[in-house]
Amino acid sequence: MEREPRVASATQEVGAVRRRQAALLRLSTAIASAQQEVDVYRSMVNGLHDEDLGYNFLGVFLLDDETGDRVLQASVGWPEAPHDWHVHRGEGLSERALEDGELHYTHDVTRESRYLASLASGSEVDVPLRVDGKTIGVLVVESREPHAFGDEDFEILTAAANQASIAIGRARLFAAERQRADEHKALLDTMGDLSSELELSRVLQAVLERAVTLLGVTGGEVAIYDEATSKLVVVASENIGKDSTGTSIALGEGAMGTVAQTHEPLIIPSYHEWLGQSVQYADVLVHSVMAAPLMIGRRLVGAIATVHSDPDRIFSDEDLRLLNMFAPQAAIAIENAGLYTTAQRQKKYFEEVLLNSPVAIVTLDQEHRIVSCNPAFEKLFGYTQDEAIDRLLDELITTETTRSEAVDYTTEALDHSVRGIGHRRRKDGTLVEVEILGVPVIVEGERVGLMGLYHDITELQRARREAEDANSAKSQFLANMSHELRTPLNAIIGYSEMLEEEAEDVGQDAFIPDLQKIHAAGKHLLALINEVLDLSKIEAGKMDLYVESFDVASTVNEVATTVRPLVEKNANKLEVSCADDVGEMHSDLLKIRQTLLNLLSNASKFTNEGVIELTAHRENGGEDGDRIVFTVKDTGIGMTPEQMDRLFEAFSQADRSISRRYGGTGLGLAVTRSFCHLMGGDVAVESVPGEGSTFTVELPATLGQPERSV
Amino acid sequence: MAKILLVEDNEMNRDMLSRRLQRKGYEVEIAVDGLEGVEKATTSRYDVILMDMSLPEIDGWEVTRRLRTQEGMQHTPIIALTAHAMAGDREKAIEAGCDDYDTKPIELPRLLSKIEALLDGRREEA
Repeated sequence: MEREPRVASATQEVGAVRRRQAALLRLSTAIASAQQEVDVYRSMVNGLHDEDLGYNFLGVFLLDDETGDRVLQASVGWPEAPHDWHVHRGEGLSERALEDGELHYTHDVTRESRYLASLASGSEVDVPLRVDGKTIGVLVVESREPHAFGDEDFEILTAAANQASIAIGRARLFAAERQRADEHKALLDTMGDLSSELELSRVLQAVLERAVTLLGVTGGEVAIYDEATSKLVVVASENIGKDSTGTSIALGEGAMGTVAQTHEPLIIPSYHEWLGQSVQYADVLVHSVMAAPLMIGRRLVGAIATVHSDPDRIFSDEDLRLLNMFAPQAAIAIENAGLYTTAQRQKKYFEEVLLNSPVAIVTLDQEHRIVSCNPAFEKLFGYTQDEAIDRLLDELITTETTRSEAVDYTTEALDHSVRGIGHRRRKDGTLVEVEILGVPVIVEGERVGLMGLYHDITELQRARREAEDANSAKSQFLANMSHELRTPLNAIIGYSEMLEEEAEDVGQDAFIPDLQKIHAAGKHLLALINEVLDLSKIEAGKMDLYVESFDVASTVNEVATTVRPLVEKNANKLEVSCADDVGEMHSDLLKIRQTLLNLLSNASKFTNEGVIELTAHRENGGEDGDRIVFTVKDTGIGMTPEQMDRLFEAFSQADRSISRRYGGTGLGLAVTRSFCHLMGGDVAVESVPGEGSTFTVELPATLGQPERSV
Repeated sequence: MAKILLVEDNEMNRDMLSRRLQRKGYEVEIAVDGLEGVEKATTSRYDVILMDMSLPEIDGWEVTRRLRTQEGMQHTPIIALTAHAMAGDREKAIEAGCDDYDTKPIELPRLLSKIEALLDGRREEA
């Protein structure tokens, strides 16, 4: 009889120990997966809750440093407890543990005056929660039974509190780090283009140092991936036995090289047994390694590695999770530095463009004051940038006479781009002729000023004037030459014609064909010279108009009479028709006659056994005055559209074979068109290859002011 | 036989035209400049005067103007010959007192028809 209760008691003891261990295991498992502080509290109360052990009611209070109140974080078994129950300073039993940092036990709560009655009777244990040597809160465990707890319970609850404290400390660090990570990301995002490469290594070093602290590792490294060389370069190094910054690592080499290649994180529990170990660290005490790639999206930007030198420490998935928290910070920092470098390069590029531009460039603020100018501006206007800055542009480089025009440009250019040509003043007072371009400078939708571009065209203008003078001299020369050439040519034509007549008279017929050839060649050369003379006169602006009144019908008939022998040479028929009302014309008779003769002689040349038609009629032009329309139509070889395109240009017979076959100078139609333009009209052509061509000349019936050629 | 005075300073032109006209049956006398032209025209009687306009010393227009002021010279037909086919020259020639106008290079049939037209006019008057 005596023995049984002892056995029962012993059995009970064994069961209680097992239950306590089970509770502790539950607690450990639960808090291992807790990420946030509040999860740690919940895991603690839920894990320890055990009716049989008398852990009927559990709660975790944290001390509010400002008020001294204890605030309930998590509880079990207290359904009435408000979820943020504040227990004020001086109330309740659990304050004792906060005061001295020791465990306190009350075997019968009814005897305690400070007890806040949540139970009618029972016992209570208060265990302090300490983080970094400071009491931050208290675990309260109550049983409905008095005298419920013993030393074993104190042990198990102390162990539980210690585990929880570590977890809380870690969760707090984690939360702080996450916040710092967010802040850092925000900072990096905003500083973006301001960060420099120097800044980058500083940032990465700081990220690495915090990772090393939080992970509780011996040391670590951060490397940047260089796309150009496909290698990693170590830029931050913390306590790995030697300063490894600057070390170059190939893809696949060592832990970082491996993660850079696989894009997957890696834990190496025993580095010295790992086949991929790098020779770089042969003399460094590395026991285990954890490495992760640094990615922006799917793009590799670098790698981070941490090492343990202590053989008792190994990396867990939890460590990897923490490491992955630092990875984005480092990746963003690298990315931003890359963007910065690109931006720097771009900025440098534009600066180079500006510096080396042959065009003078000046930027102004909204008040027209000079903000900057490039070397070409300094060279063109003679002011150094220092002299120019803050000056009003329009006072600096204008004269009295050009100022208002310049101000107009500047004012307009604030709104939209303007261009023009004008004279501007150099520092030494001389003038320079410039092409001016003004454009507003708008940054992100905001108008901040304007930019002026000056292109020195003094030389260009001089060259143009020289070219014009040269051209005019050329025309003058041609006119003189033509005149000088005509005198001997007239002798050739005249004597050959005369000899022809004499040969006929004396019956020397054998000479006649040769004399005719000399005569024809002379006439052709004369026609050529005359047309060159006409064109050069037109080009030189010296072709004058002699306007007179004449009857259109008799002019047409006269021209027909002149050209008839030529037309009939190729067995062509000439048909002339003049409208009855065609009447008089007031224009340059000789030029009209020459125009019609040109067109008719062309038509005769390119038509065989066909019909050539010459017509004239009057068209009522209303306010613009009547117009006389002449047409010359043939049934000859015609032209393709391509041939017609260049028809009226000088020396542009449709092709060379035509000139060989049909002769002609290639100038006739150019002269014809110039004459028509001179007389205020135009000449047009329609043609179908193989069917014929129709030239239409349209001229004002009454030419007003005699016009000079252009 | 019509008698023609050719006032022409260019030797080749003078030679050609005078020979061609002679072959056509005209009697041709020559003056090599304006002064000689005035002198010959006033001392002899011609049926037609062919006057080159660009002459040294005094030009064809001036010669014509002078001849037209001389007694008995108002009606002698004068044909102006110019190197420039310009309407201005033609008007200037008529204004100076020429009866007709032709351009160089000479087209003999055309010139002959002008000469004959003026001679016919004279014959009708006479």
